[in-house]
Order: sequence, then structure tokens, then C-alpha cells
Amino acid sequence: MKKWVGRLALLMLICIFGIAAILIGTIYFHFISQRIYEDSTGHLEEIYDQVNHSFGAFVERNWGLLEGWDKYIALADSNGDNTVSDFIQNEQKYWGFSDFYFIAANEDSMSVEGVKESIDLGEEWSRITEDKEPVMAGSTLSSGKDVTFFVIPTEHKAYKDFGYDAIAVSYTNADMASSLNVNAFSGNAKCFIIHSDGKILLSTMTGGNVYENYLVYLKAASDISAEHIDALRNDWEAGKSGLLYCTIGDVDYSILYQPVGYQDYILLSVVPQSVISAGFLSVQKTTTNVMIVLSMLIGAAVIVLLVMRYRKMSLKSRMELQYRERMFDVLSNSVDDIFIMLDAQKHSVDYLSPNIERLIGIPVEDARKDIRVLLNCVMNSDVVVPSSVLEAIPLQGSISRECEYMHQTTGERRGYRMTVYHMSIQDVRKYIFVMSDRTMELQMNKQLKEALTAARSANEAKSNFLSNMSHDIRTPMNAIVGFSVLLEKDADNPDKVREYTRKITASSHHLLSLINDVLDMSKIESGKTSLNVEAFSIPELLDELNIIIMPQAKAKMQKFKIHVQGVVHEQVIGDKLRLNQILINLLSNAIKYTPDSGEIDFTISELPQAAQQYATLRFAVKDNGIGMSEDFLEQVFSPFSREINSVTNKIQGTGLGMAITKNLVDLMGGIINVESQPEKGSTFTVELTFAIPEKDEGEAWYNSKVSRILVADDDEEICLDIRELMKDSGVTVAYSTEGAKAVDMAVKAHEEGKDYNVILLDLKMPGMDGVQTAQKLRERLGSGVPILVLTSYDWSDIEKEARQAGINAFMPKPFFVSTFWQTIKPLFSEEEARKKIDEEAAEKAMEGRLFLVAEDNEMNSEILTEVMAMEGAKCELAVNGQEAVSKFEASDVGHYDMILMDVQMPVMNGYDATRAIRASAHPEAKTIPIVAMTANTFAEDVRNAMDAGMNGHLAKPIDMKAVREMVIKLLGPSNKSDSNKQGDTK
Amino acid sequence: MKKRIFSAMLIAALICSVTGCAANKDTEDKSVTLTLMGKKSDLQKSYMTSIFNQYEAETGNKLDIIAYEDAEYETAAQEDFKNGNAPDIFLHFHNADLSRFDVSENFCYLNNEKWINDLTDGAKAYCQDKDGNILGLPFWENSVSGCYYNKTLLNSLGLKPAATQAEFNMLCQALADTGYTPICWPANGCSWMLQFGLDPVFADDPETLEKINNNEISYSDIPAVTDMIQWIADAADKGWFGENYLETGWEQISSEMASGQAVMTFIWDTWFYTDFEKDNKYSVDDFALMPIFLNTAENGTYEGGNLNMMMVNKNSDKKEEALDFLDFCATEKNYNKAFDGISTVNCFKGQNTNIQSDMVTEAEKSIKANERVSTAASRVVGYSADDMVAALDVLFRKKTDVKGCVKLMDEYRIQEAKANGADGF
Repeated sequence: MKKWVGRLALLMLICIFGIAAILIGTIYFHFISQRIYEDSTGHLEEIYDQVNHSFGAFVERNWGLLEGWDKYIALADSNGDNTVSDFIQNEQKYWGFSDFYFIAANEDSMSVEGVKESIDLGEEWSRITEDKEPVMAGSTLSSGKDVTFFVIPTEHKAYKDFGYDAIAVSYTNADMASSLNVNAFSGNAKCFIIHSDGKILLSTMTGGNVYENYLVYLKAASDISAEHIDALRNDWEAGKSGLLYCTIGDVDYSILYQPVGYQDYILLSVVPQSVISAGFLSVQKTTTNVMIVLSMLIGAAVIVLLVMRYRKMSLKSRMELQYRERMFDVLSNSVDDIFIMLDAQKHSVDYLSPNIERLIGIPVEDARKDIRVLLNCVMNSDVVVPSSVLEAIPLQGSISRECEYMHQTTGERRGYRMTVYHMSIQDVRKYIFVMSDRTMELQMNKQLKEALTAARSANEAKSNFLSNMSHDIRTPMNAIVGFSVLLEKDADNPDKVREYTRKITASSHHLLSLINDVLDMSKIESGKTSLNVEAFSIPELLDELNIIIMPQAKAKMQKFKIHVQGVVHEQVIGDKLRLNQILINLLSNAIKYTPDSGEIDFTISELPQAAQQYATLRFAVKDNGIGMSEDFLEQVFSPFSREINSVTNKIQGTGLGMAITKNLVDLMGGIINVESQPEKGSTFTVELTFAIPEKDEGEAWYNSKVSRILVADDDEEICLDIRELMKDSGVTVAYSTEGAKAVDMAVKAHEEGKDYNVILLDLKMPGMDGVQTAQKLRERLGSGVPILVLTSYDWSDIEKEARQAGINAFMPKPFFVSTFWQTIKPLFSEEEARKKIDEEAAEKAMEGRLFLVAEDNEMNSEILTEVMAMEGAKCELAVNGQEAVSKFEASDVGHYDMILMDVQMPVMNGYDATRAIRASAHPEAKTIPIVAMTANTFAEDVRNAMDAGMNGHLAKPIDMKAVREMVIKLLGPSNKSDSNKQGDTK
Repeated sequence: MKKRIFSAMLIAALICSVTGCAANKDTEDKSVTLTLMGKKSDLQKSYMTSIFNQYEAETGNKLDIIAYEDAEYETAAQEDFKNGNAPDIFLHFHNADLSRFDVSENFCYLNNEKWINDLTDGAKAYCQDKDGNILGLPFWENSVSGCYYNKTLLNSLGLKPAATQAEFNMLCQALADTGYTPICWPANGCSWMLQFGLDPVFADDPETLEKINNNEISYSDIPAVTDMIQWIADAADKGWFGENYLETGWEQISSEMASGQAVMTFIWDTWFYTDFEKDNKYSVDDFALMPIFLNTAENGTYEGGNLNMMMVNKNSDKKEEALDFLDFCATEKNYNKAFDGISTVNCFKGQNTNIQSDMVTEAEKSIKANERVSTAASRVVGYSADDMVAALDVLFRKKTDVKGCVKLMDEYRIQEAKANGADGF
């Protein structure tokens, strides 16, 4: 309050000072103006006194000259005409008049040259004739020219027989005007010689004069009243001087009048008032300007001081305010609650917490300009609070709403509880919006709901799973149990025993595959599956697939074809095992659901590369089987889904294959699609992207020996595909679709001394088949050129015949460059030939080996012992890990060749046993090969085994081929005899 | 739409009255029929029908009148000349646009006709080509265009008419100071004012006229044209045209002048007898004439009337009879009979039955000193009065400056010249 009183007093002081300054300035200005105007007017009168005086002198001079010339003419006339004429002309040149006239009593006149002219001097003529006074009068000549005459009366005389009573000189009005011109007002002053009745005799205006009677003009054009005009006329008639002010048009004039002193003529000066003062205006202006500047300087100094003081004070309070605002901004920025304060009348924003941009994505400035922008972000429009609702909130009252806003930039949705308070702050009503962030709470609720739903679903799934499993497991189990009972009963009947055993085996295999699938599925779904990525060969993969699938297809008399299209990258990096699993699933299904004699096409093609280091392969399995309904297609990849119809009911399956396949494809980052129509067949397409390994430079060796090959195949597309695939290797491919023609081509090349390095023949061709063509070639070419047979059929039946015909090797279809190199490598390399012999020797690697087998399952260990014995190897058994460790530690050096270690065992598991062995003091603790032998076949199981110190991993059930390969890998070929080792049995 | 007016009945009646319906054989044998071509509205003027009737009655010859609608006249007449259907006598509005008719090939020069000396100087000037050859007999009502002012009002204001441009400026300002509109300037569609200002520019300097017609220079190259437009712009700004000059058109001139609201206007004397409002504050007797001042002539200018003239077909086999017809028209007795009571300035010195306005008579000396032939409108190739109004309208509405206005005038003129196929454009 005190502060306000102080400010008010200061303001009043400034006002008083300002008013005083303005008053003093105005008075001074008025005083100066008045003085200047008085001086100016005085100056005007002075100037026109001089003008009047000089004009009077001009008039007097002319009259005086005329008097002198009259005397001269009177004397000179007798001397002859020319004398007067010459004299006057000389005088005219000197004094500048226009003409000289002799004027008769009737106003006829004659120039000195004798030219007659009629002059009308009006009333003035009587002054000459009657009063005998000199006059000055205006008249218009016959030429239309307005002139002024100066006339003096003379005695009646004659000149050239022209009787005259007066003589005169005339001046044009322009010449006359020059004698009245006033330069003092820069030519802006008008000067008139007028009669007392207002009629204008002369004017100084440039270019002439249109004012005929100035009194009449003033009456019409000026603001002078009729009474004043009459008074003015009276003044003029009375020969008075005076000064009057008037406005004509928009201009203020000063009109000075004073009698000339001759006749009743009046000198009238009309000067714009602005012109009169112009000369003094600069002084006035300068003075005024100095005063204004001084006042302004003083005022400015005072204002600056006051402003500085005020700014200091306001800066302090602003700083405090800013500090508080900043504090609040920081606080509100660090929380997820939004605060808005609106003026209740204008609904303008008084405060807005800056976190609105972070939380809702609306720029603070936009929201400040118009808070309604918030409405654009509200997701549930039913919570918008209209003005009517706001106004209905009682003072100090509040309302609340739950609302959801969408972030304008990120699209994130956030939930708020919006509470609107109606408050009065310093007697101004405000609405305060507090928007409390409840996103976490809402999300938590949502998650809880989802979790509840998931739990219910899981429970339901578990029930379904158990129901499905119960059914699927019971079926083979029933068969096993049932046939086991029958086996016991019919043990003496070998045929029945074989029949029951076969059925028990089949049911066991089905049960095993079911268990494997369930485990796989479980593993994949729990996210515990990881990929075992390594480089592998597509041709090898296809070869393996062919080996597995072809017999199945053959069994159902189905045509199984593998097509390869544009596969440039035959070596890729990926999980071969999982890919194999995917493709076997698809192919097995195709065979399973395609009737006998149906067709299955397996096509592998390479898609255009998206990146240099990656190759994308498309695997398509197409069959013309029973197909699937549109409804079933939607759930084909769901677990335990099997279409129920008369055909599928007879086909055994777990309903997990496609689900596993889909999950594996997803795991490998690929795409799987299916197209199917009932009774027409299905096509499954899998697209997977693999990394490409660095290229094997070893191929270059072959390039040097193989530069030209000849292909004979009745399918031209295959020939062209081979040419395309070989393009990058630099090998030239010639081809023929007929065997006979191929023979001709090869013979021609031979005769030219340009034998083909290799000849590839299709086995089955119309006309001459592959074997016949080979025979012909050998007849004509001898044995120098290697001949290969390309076939998609099993060649074991014709191998002997083919070899006899001169065929060096067989190659499976489809053609792969790598397979080709692999096939021809032995034909060009002695080292490879030797290697082949070694491989054959390695097949006997198991002979004489002694294995320590740690296995808690008696049945498993018995089976293993028997199978190993069939390979010529012996086993010593341990029932748990601890026993295995003890047996190893107690053994002599070189006693055991290898330890086969089960992982899950009582007392001590396989991992711990391995670690114990590696940590033991036995000389071979670090070197004895230990191989895991477990049903845990996943990649991390292999890794765990390796981490524990094992050297390899074999999956149960034990495959002897895998055991053999492992032994060769870890121990090399055997050179031991059966007698070297003594194996124990438990 | 060729329409022929055969005044058969009239001719028959005249023949009856002159010959008492008993024309002798000689008359019949010697009579000829002359073809006379003109605009329908022109041929219907009373003094024209009067002279035609006199001729037929007194000579026994006949006139075959070929009358075209006004709008078609130029085109139809050109076609007739091209197709060998040219008349013996051809009426054309003074010498404007005669280039379309190949004057030297089609018409007689009338320099040695006896009536030449009876023509007033102004009338003679209208019938001459640029080399001074007389192309036709002016037979039309004549007028003088100038600055007509309210002398009564001027006297009451203690003012007198201007004799120079400076005085005119002075007068305008003095009138404006008294609250009157100095000049009634009908900017709304009235198109004749500018040609008055341009007449001195081209009439006083034939070289300038030739250059602009050869497209060697433009208005922008002639300082006097810019001076004129600048004066008009200044006058408008100073209020010398009053406040509503943009809305003032032909219809308003009379009331503004007759009421005394405006003091002066640039118009012609016959207007006072045809269009000036009667029964208003001021009558014709209150007006007088002074020159037009548009800043192009120090002592101002008048424009003589636009006259119709009768031309003789050089290639006609009745050329002599056609020349005789012109002689007949130029005979004092005949023309005085024809123009009896017609308000017109004299075309013939012996004209005495017509009514010549006092305004013209009083200003005779000034007219003689400052009158110019209508040059801009009739001789400047591509000149279009309407285009000039359009250009000035843009200036008045402040959409361009003086320079821009002159440029527009040039653009319009050149467009018009091109449209007419003028040489050099």
C-alpha cells in the first residue's frame, strides 16, 4: 500500500511538471509568435511604403518627363517631323515606355509616327480636360492590349496637323508591374493598383490578371463580411490606409492598402500570412525547437531516472516471480501431472505447466494461445467439459473426469484424472485444471486384466493340451501295451512275434516322434530354442532330404521332383538342422496328404539379393493332394490343429508339425505361406534369408583343368540352367537334347583336338539313353574323357551296367556346381582318390574300441552294449556319474578309448562327472574323449556339454552312424584288434 | 442492308411545280441523274434535303440518293468504290480517314473552283489535305469548340476571362476559392476534351504529326502531351473539376452549367441550342467564349467544327455535272435558302440567313487568332477518343501516374492503328 502511495505521488509530480512545462512552452510560443507576427507586419508595411514611394516616383517621373517633352516638342516641331520622332524614340529606348501619344479633346490619339489610335480613359479624361491635372489611367488598345497611360494636359497644339490637348506615354501592364514587384516575399506577394471602387488598374501577378474588381472578388471569395467590405470601400474612397486579415480559399492573407497619392488610386498588397512570417519562421522554429529539446532532455533525464528506479524495482520483483515460476516449472516438469489455470471470464490461459509438450505433444505456445487445442488430443470425447459445466461448478467447488489423451507426436496414449477447481484469486475467478497422470495405474490394471486373461487362456490351453496329449499318447501306448501282452502270449509263434514286434516298433516310433514334437513345441514356445548357426551346403541338404523323402514317396508310388532355379549361393550360413526339420515336415506332410501316385514338387529358388552378404532362398512344396478348406487354412499353424475328415482321420499325426514349422520359420526370421484348395492340393512356401560364407578359393584348381563341358539332356531348361550356373566359373557349357547329337559333338571336338573336359549325360533320354550314349562315346573317344551321368533316380540298380558302359561317376539331379566339383574332384585328383580309400578304412573305426558308458537306465545301457558289440566295440558300464568318475580314475592309461556320458543321472549328473574327470589326477584326465549321450538335443545342451569339458554330443536314441562318425572324428581310424580290450558288463 | 431512298414522289412534285407538269422535250433530253452517297442521318438534315430539292427543281436533273445506315457507311462505301459502284458525289465527314478511299485516284481536287474564295478560312481548312488541296465543298452546320464560361457569374465575382494559360490557372484557382467548380469536366464517358488540347500539338507542328503517324515517335516522346496530362491531373487534384467529375457525364453538363454550379466547360456553341437546359438559373445569354487552355498553347485554342463535305468522283462520266452540282450548292442564294434559320457558324462568307451565336461573334477576334483545325481526332493515326477517356480514367482513379497514363494512351493508339492496318504499325 505504501509503495502504491509513493508511486502515485511520483506520477502526480511528473504530471504537474509536464503540465507546467507545456503551459510555459505554450505561453512562450504564443508570445514569440505574436512578437514575430507584429514584427512581420511592421516589416510588410515598411516594404510596401517603399513600394508605394518608388511607384510614386515612377508616376512623378513620367509626368515630369511629359512636361519636359511637351516643351521640347513645341520648340522642335518647327524644326521638322523627324526631329520629334527621333527624340521620342531615343527617350523611349532610355525610359522603356511603349508608345508616345498626342491626344485630342475627343480622345482620338496619334502616335509620334502618325498612327491613329482610339483611347478610352473613361472618367479620368475629365480630370485632364476640366481640371487640367495629370492622370494615370488604364485602357485597352484596338490590338486588345491592356496598357496604362500617363497623361498630362497641354495647351491646344498640333503635330503633323493633328490637334492635341494632351500628351501621353503608355506602358504595358507587364512593364508597369515590374515597377511594383516585391522580391521580399519570394514572389508570393500580389500587388495591385486599384481604383477606390475596387477596379484593378495594374497587377503584379505573373502571366496576367483575371481579377477585374478586387472588392467584388473579396466579397465573393473571402471570409470578410458584407459590412466589412462596405467599410473597406469607405476606407478606400476616403483615401485611408489599413491592414486587414482574411481567408481566401484555404489561405490566410494579410491585405495592406494605402493610397498612392495620385487621383484615388490605392496600392493593394495581398500577401499570404505564412509568407510574411516565413523570414522569421526559422528563428521561431529554432527557439521553439531549442525549448522543446531542452524540455525533452530534462524530461528524458527525469524519465530515465524514474525508469531506472522502476526497472530496478520491477526487475527485482520480476526475478522473484520468475524464480517462483521457474521453480514451479521445474517441479511440474519433473512430474507427469499437468496444471492449467484459466481466466473464468475470458477462458484465456493464465498458467500452463510446460510439461504439456512432453506429455501430450502440444507446443506450449499453441496451448497458451488457445487451450482448445487440447480437445484434439482427447481420445474419449465424452469427458470434454463444456463451458456450461465449468460455469456450473460452484466457487471453491470442483469436478473430476477420467480421460485419455494421445501424444500428438508419438501417438502414445496416457490416462489422466482431470480435476477442475473453481477458485477466486485476488477477486478474479479462475478455473484450475489439475490433470494427474494415471497412465501407470491404468497400464497396470490393463496388464493385470491381460495377465488374468492369459492365465485363463493358459489354463484352458493346458487343459486342451492335456486332453490332446492324453488322447495322442494313449493311442500308441495302448498299441505297445496291447501288443506286448500279445507278444508274451504268442512268444512261441515267430511270425506273430515278428508281426507284434513290428507294430510295437511302429507305435514306439510314433510315440517318440510325438514326444519329440511336444518337447520341441514346448521349447520353442518357452523361447528357449536357439539356433545353431554354421555354414552348410544346399546341395548336401537337398541330398539328405532326397534320401529321406524319396523312399516315402516311392512307397506311395508318388512322383517326387526337386527343381532348382537360379540358386547361385549353394553355401550358406544357417541352422541346417532346423531347416531340415522345416522341410521334412513340409515334405512329409505333402506325401502324407497326397494320395498314391500323386505328385510332389519341391522347388528351391534364390530371390534377388537385398544385401550383398545375404541370400534369400525360397522353398516351395507343392502337392496335388487332398488340400485344405479355407476355414482350416486360418488355423493350419495352430498347435494340435488337424482337419477332421474321412481322409485325415486315417492318417497318423500329432497336429504339432505345422505349428513347430511356423515357429521355427519365425525363429529364423523367415516367412511361411500356404495356398490350398480342397481336392486340388496345397503349396507351402518358405522364404528364409541366410548369410553367405566367404567363397572357397579351392575351386580355382579345378577351373584350370575343366574349361569345357558337354551336357546331354532332353530337358533343354536343365541344359540352360547348367550353363547359367557355370557362368561364373568360366567353364563353357555346350549342350544337346539328344544323345546321338551329343556323340557327334564330342567326336567333332575330339577330331579337332579340342576334347570336352567332362561330358554330362542324362540317364533317361528318348532315343539313346545315357548308358547307350556313354557306350557310343567310349567307342569313338576312348577312355580319356570323364563321363558323368546325371539322374534323379536311384542308380544302384544300373550302376554296374553303367560302369561297364564307361561311365565314370553319377551325379544326382538337380545340378549343383558344388556337387559337380565334388563329383569330378576324384577324377582329377590322386589325393582325393587316396582319401576315398581312407574313408573306406575308417568304416572299421569301431573295431576293438573300449567305451566307458555312464547310463542310469538299464535298458538303454543294455541296448547300447549290444549295438556296440555288433560294431566290434566293447562297453564298461557305470550307473551314475560318480561311478563313472571312480572307474576312470581307477583305470590304467589307455584302458578306455572314450567315455559316453549320460547327462541326467542320479548321485552325480554327466556335467559334474565330466568336470570331476577333467579335474582328476589321472594322466588322461585332460585328453580322454568324453561325449555326451543325452535326449537333451538342443543347441544350448550341446554348449553346456562343451562347457563342462566334453568333446562331443550324441542325441538319444543312439544312432550308430553318428557314434561312428564321432569316434572317427575324435579318435581317427582304428588299428586295434578285438583282443586288445576287456570290457565289463554290469 | 443497302437502302436506297428514292425521292421519286418528291422529285415528281418538284418537277410539277417547276415545269407545271408540262416539261418540254428539251428538258427531258438534257436532264441527268447524279448518284449521291451519304449516311442516312446526314442526308436527312433539313438543309441537305433543301439543297437537293432546290437542285432538282431548278436544273431538272435528278439525284439518286444512296443512303447507308451510319454504322455501315464506311465499310459499305469502300466496297462500292472497290466494286466499281462509286457514286458521282460522295459525302464524307471532313478529311478524317479518307486514306481508305485512295483520294488521289478517286476524287477531284477542287482548288480552282470559283466558290473557294467564298469559304471562310476555318471551313476551307477542314476540306484541305496535308498538301493544301481542296477535296470537297463543305456544306454542313458549323460550330466552334472553346471554353464557354458564365460571364454573369464571373462579373459577379470580380473576375474576367483568361487570355493566357497562366491567367486561366489563376482564374480556376480564384473560382475554386469562391466555392464554385471552375471547370465542368465530364470524365464519365465524354471524350472530346483531350483532342482540343492535342490540336495545337499536331496542328502547329506537322512534323510531329508525321512522325507519330509513321510510328517514329510516341506521345511519350512529345513533352507537350505529358504537360497536358500533368495539368489535367493537377487540376483534378486541386478540385478545379469539382468533387464528382468522375460521375459527371454528358447528361450532367447542362444542369451543372445552367445552375451555375460550374463556371466553365469545353464545348461547342451549337450545344447551347440543342442540349442546354432552359428555365434554370442561367440562360445562353449569360455565357461567353474564351479559348480552351489545356497547357498546350499559351494563348489557348479553339477547335473549328467538324464538317461534312461533298466530293466529286474523278472517274465518273458525269464529273462535270457533279461539279456543277457543287457550284449550285455554293451559290449564295441557294445556300442561304438551305441554311435559313439554322444555328451555325458561317462556312461561306456570304452566309447571312443562318443564326450565329453572339458568343462566337463576340469572340471572333480571339477565334481568328487561336482557332485550329480538328487535327488530333482526325489526323492522328489510331486516335480513339474513347481510348483516351479510358486512359485518363485510370489516371483519375489513381491506378497509374502521369507517365503511365501517357503510356496507356500510346498503347491504345498503337493497338487501334494495328487493328486498322495502318502502315508502319
